[in-house]
Amino acid sequence: MNVKHNLQELTNIATRLRLHVVDMVAPSGQGYVQQGLGAADIFTTLYFAEATMDTANPSWPDRDRIFLTTAHNTAIFYATLAERGFFDVEDLATYVTDGSSLEINSSERMGSFVEATCGSLGQGLSVAVGCALAAKRQGRASRFYVILGDGEMQEGQVWEAAMYAGAQRLDNLCVIVDYNFVQSEGPMNLVMSLEPVMHKMESFGFACQEVDGNDIESLLSAYDLARETKGKPSFIKANTLMGKGVASLEGLMFHQLRFPPEVAASARAELEAQL
Amino acid sequence: MNETLTQLEAADFINRSFKRLPRAYGDALVEAAKVDPRIVALCADLVPPTETDLFRDELPERFHNVGIAEANMIGMAGGMARCGEIPFCHSFCAFITKRVFDQITMQAAYPNLPVKIVGFLPGVTTLLGVTHQAIEDVAIMRSVPNMAIFEPSGPEYHATMVKLALDWNGPVYLRMKRPETTPADFTPQKLEIGKGVLRREGSDITIISAGLCVGESMTAADTLAKEGIETRVVDMASIKPIDQTLILESAARTGAIVTAENHNIIGGLGSAVAEVLVEEGIGLPFKRVGVMDQFCEGGTTSYLMKKFGLDATAIVLAVRQVLEKKE
Repeated sequence: MNVKHNLQELTNIATRLRLHVVDMVAPSGQGYVQQGLGAADIFTTLYFAEATMDTANPSWPDRDRIFLTTAHNTAIFYATLAERGFFDVEDLATYVTDGSSLEINSSERMGSFVEATCGSLGQGLSVAVGCALAAKRQGRASRFYVILGDGEMQEGQVWEAAMYAGAQRLDNLCVIVDYNFVQSEGPMNLVMSLEPVMHKMESFGFACQEVDGNDIESLLSAYDLARETKGKPSFIKANTLMGKGVASLEGLMFHQLRFPPEVAASARAELEAQL
Repeated sequence: MNETLTQLEAADFINRSFKRLPRAYGDALVEAAKVDPRIVALCADLVPPTETDLFRDELPERFHNVGIAEANMIGMAGGMARCGEIPFCHSFCAFITKRVFDQITMQAAYPNLPVKIVGFLPGVTTLLGVTHQAIEDVAIMRSVPNMAIFEPSGPEYHATMVKLALDWNGPVYLRMKRPETTPADFTPQKLEIGKGVLRREGSDITIISAGLCVGESMTAADTLAKEGIETRVVDMASIKPIDQTLILESAARTGAIVTAENHNIIGGLGSAVAEVLVEEGIGLPFKRVGVMDQFCEGGTTSYLMKKFGLDATAIVLAVRQVLEKKE
C-alpha cells in the first residue's frame, strides 16, 4: 500500500498535481491557486511516498492520517486525493460548483479521507493529537501528519494542542507547517510575526527541522528523521514559495488571487512544458 | 501552445480582475470614528471582507489587525472598552460568535461593555461551506443577557447599523451581509432599536423576516398578491430587543404569521416571534421558514437559498400552508 516512487516520478506527479490546480481554479477563478502550487511538493511527498493508506478502504483503522488544517487549500488537496485513487480524476471538474462535495473548504462529507472538517482555523492539530493519543493507547503503528498553515499558527488553540503534544511526548505526530509567509492581509511579519517559530516549537517539546518545502528530497529526509525521532513530536518548517512551478506567479503576494483566463493559460503552458 | 506571461504581465491581469464592492458599513464606521475618538476597530485578518480597509488606511492608530486570533480580539476589546473606548470587532459571523462565545459573555456582556461585534457571511450565504456558515449565531447571541442584535435587510441599511450599534449602550451583534452590487434606488425607512419596519401592508397574513429573507418575503408577497392574498411584510431588523408591539398588532390584524430567516429554525427570529405570541396567550396559524435543523454546504447564494428552503418559493409555500389552517 505504501507506494514508493523514485525522484523523477515524484517530480512528475507534483507537476501533474499543479496542472490540475490550474485547471480546477481556471473556470470560476474561485480557489487558491498560488497556495496549491506552493504546497504541491508537500502533498506529493506525503501522499505518494510517506503515508501508508488504503484507497480501497479509506477508513482502515491502521492507516496513517493526514490532516489538512488549512482546509481552504483544496485544489491541490482534491487533485492529490484523486490522483492517489480516492475518487475519480474526472470529479475534479466539479470543483466549487453548486451541489458538488468538492467545496472550497474541505468537509468530511466527501469521505473519511478528509480526516476532519478543519476550515475554521486552528482546530485540526487538536484533533490530530487526540487521534495520536488514541493510537498509542490502542497499540497502533499509525502516524499522524498535520499540514498546518503559518497564519493559522496565530490561533491560540494551536499552541494549546502543541503544548499537550509536547508534554505527552507524542512521537507519532508530525506537524508540517506550509510556511508560505502570506496570510489574508499580506506578509505575516506585517500582521503578526510568528518568529522565532523554531525556538517556540522547540520550547514546546518538538523536534524541529527547517526544510525547503519545494524540495522533494529534503521533505522525504525530514519525514525519515521525524519517524526515527523517539519521545518527541516533530515539527517541520517547510518553507514554500507561493505559485511554485509557474514563474509568472511565483512569489506574488495575494492570499485571494483572482485567476484571469490569460494568466491561467500561461500557467498551463508553463507546467506542460515541464512534463 | 500559449505564450507564457511575465510576472509583471500576470500581476497586471490579476490586479485588473479585482472587483470593487460597495462599502457602506465601512465608510459609515470611519465617518462615526472621525466624530467620536472613542471608536476603535479590530479585525481578525479579514480586512476587505469586513469593509474595514478604509478604517485601516484613514485611522491606522485606532485600527488593529490582530491576526487570525478571534478569542484574543474579543478579550482585548473588553479591555479597551473598560478603558473608555468603543471597540468594533470584525470577522465572519461564524467565527465572531460561535468561536468566541465564552469570551463574549464574560468580557463584553457580563460587564455590559460597549463592545460591538460585527460579523459578515450570515447564515448559509457563502461558497466557503459549513465551516464559514453561521446558522446558529442568532440563537446563541440572543441568549446572552445585555446583548442587542441587529440585522440589515440590504445595503441601504448598512450605514444605519453603525448608528444603532452606538445607540445601544452595551454589547451589540451586527449580522452583516456584504453587498454584491450597488444598492438599487430605494429609500430606506427609519430604523430604531426595538422597532420593526413595516415594508408592505396586507390583511390576510404577516411575514416577519430579517436580513436576506426580507427581499425574498417581498417577492413572495408579490406572487401571493396575484392569488388574491394580501400579505403584510415586516422587516425585523432589531432582532433583540424585538418589536413586541408590532408582532402582537400583526397577529391581531392578520390572524396568521410566517417567519422567514437565513438561520436555523431553532432559536432565531422565528423562535423569538413565537415566544412573544405564546407569552401573550395567542394561538394562531404559524410557521417558521429557515434552515430545517440541518448543516448546509458551500454554494452560490441563490442555489443555497433554494436548496435549503429560504427563498420566495419556500415562503409562498409556507404562507399557503398556514392560510389553510386559518380558515
